[in-house]
Amino acid sequence: MKYAFYPGCVSRGGCPELYPSAVKVSAKLEIGLEELKDVGCTGAGVLPQYLSDPINARTFAKAEELGLPIMTICSTCQGVMSQANYRLKGDPEYRAKINQEYLSEEGLEYKGTTEVKHLLWVLFEDYGIERLKPLLRRPLKGLRVSPFYGCYIRRPPEAITPTKELNRRKNYLDELIEILGAECVDFSGKGKCCGFPILTANEENSLAMVGKHTGEAREKGADCMVTPCPLCHLNLDGNQPRAEAQEGKEIGLPILHLPQFLGLALGFDPGEMNLKRHIVATQTVESKVSMLA
Amino acid sequence: MEVTFKVYRKDPEKDGKPGRSNYTIDIPEDATALDGLLKIRDELDGTLAFRASCARGYCGECTMRVNYKACFACTAKVSAFTKKAPEILLDPLRNVPVIKDLVFDWDAFMWNKIKALKPWLEPDESLSSGENLLPDSAMQDLRKVMSCYYCGLCDEGCTVLPVDFDFLGPAALTKAYRFAFDPRDKDGKERLKIAEQPKGIWDCVHCFEASEHCPRGIAPTERIMAVRDKAFKVGITNEKVARHHTSFANSVKESGWLDEGRLAIESEGLTNIKGLMKLLPTAAKAMARGKAPIPYLHPKRPGADKIKKIFQKGEQETK
Repeated sequence: MKYAFYPGCVSRGGCPELYPSAVKVSAKLEIGLEELKDVGCTGAGVLPQYLSDPINARTFAKAEELGLPIMTICSTCQGVMSQANYRLKGDPEYRAKINQEYLSEEGLEYKGTTEVKHLLWVLFEDYGIERLKPLLRRPLKGLRVSPFYGCYIRRPPEAITPTKELNRRKNYLDELIEILGAECVDFSGKGKCCGFPILTANEENSLAMVGKHTGEAREKGADCMVTPCPLCHLNLDGNQPRAEAQEGKEIGLPILHLPQFLGLALGFDPGEMNLKRHIVATQTVESKVSMLA
Repeated sequence: MEVTFKVYRKDPEKDGKPGRSNYTIDIPEDATALDGLLKIRDELDGTLAFRASCARGYCGECTMRVNYKACFACTAKVSAFTKKAPEILLDPLRNVPVIKDLVFDWDAFMWNKIKALKPWLEPDESLSSGENLLPDSAMQDLRKVMSCYYCGLCDEGCTVLPVDFDFLGPAALTKAYRFAFDPRDKDGKERLKIAEQPKGIWDCVHCFEASEHCPRGIAPTERIMAVRDKAFKVGITNEKVARHHTSFANSVKESGWLDEGRLAIESEGLTNIKGLMKLLPTAAKAMARGKAPIPYLHPKRPGADKIKKIFQKGEQETK
């Protein structure tokens, strides 16, 4: 089982704790990763489509050459690439135009066969939960965890949940939390936006979203939140203190990356998962986890 | 079948406090939520206020939440909502100022926002003396957008409106698309400037909730993104957003990937001391945890020159 690994910019930039956690967890699960190094940023929904589609087509062509599906660890990378792939796969004329105008000079051609899957989807759709269960060295019993998906791993439906069966993707994180032995603390904001995309354009609204979601999960009794999106993490963790100040309430909710959360259940120590690098202190999670050891 | 309708109530002429009234009625198996509401008003409680018009799912007038799910009361079959228990909850939309019971203020919710975007065609009269004729193909895409019947479901799904009611919202911003991409409109740049006003396109988080909620398949989120892409192409007029997008694009163009430290600083503006000072507490915390990306010390990705070429080609083509 092997993937062309697309870690994304943030997993080594603003969230440097994510990349090594994902690599360690993948190795433990014997998921082979061949990192795509000579490819570009997806555009993250900031670059216009006329620039990001050719950049992503190039990434897909590189993975196609390797004969491997792509694995991401970022909901935003996943979403932007899924949307680009939906257009490129579904419209051969458009694909041919992108190939001819942007990729042919480099001798590349995207034939439209590359699959792009987030680690979360890989676990359910390729790896298999039954294969995962016996590997859990530390079921996270007693830990109360709220899921936070990030928009682009749930929508738009035509690119993300195109079939009735794949509609289950909307619930994978809830399911995984229970599978890893923790208690899933559901709340209304789990599929909403974290506010990160408008941090520049409207900081007040962005921080209000952070306060709303983390505050609600905290009120429902969550010990922490887990997210498959490092951009959500940047806002929900990194800007939580500012959101607390703006909204006038104490929250203090630790936010875990999906691979960190999975890693803890696989038996890694919090230190090995770099929990110390978070802005919001993770002691409550660490002490609960250490009691389970 | 016997069903209890639990309906949201609010009467500004009494105490104005929200509450709920329960009405148990006998309705046919195929009755809709609207059928039930009409029966309640006719037979049990003439004070119950709600809106409805076409009664066939084509006008959006009876948009409300049934068991917390936004839909049209006239097409919502009661039996589909009463599988667990013979009761049904009816509430107004989430992001609306309620006037009375299920009736809310459409002007504040949507129409005033649409008006703010100057929703009328300003034809370039110098081009033709009579009719401005276009081939059918030129209007095909816009016809889809024009099929919007303003039901408000996209605004109901919006992630921004619950934290900021003044955000123009997907319904109005889709209207901005309708004129920004109309080949007969005389000044595209002016049109974009209107869409770029505060609380406009740049306040959208592009979460795709609007597209998921739209019953007409108009894809409001994609429309807003298209207006943003057009603004990027001709020059963004919102200064802060322009700085952010330029920095993002330059970073990817020069190195293949994103220099987050540089993006944070350049988005504020290199000479904006007050803005940069604001970043300091977060930056200091991040540095203490060993997770602050150092701006400009950003190695190029191996394929950076190829990415740069894509940028140059893309920019050339849009000129």
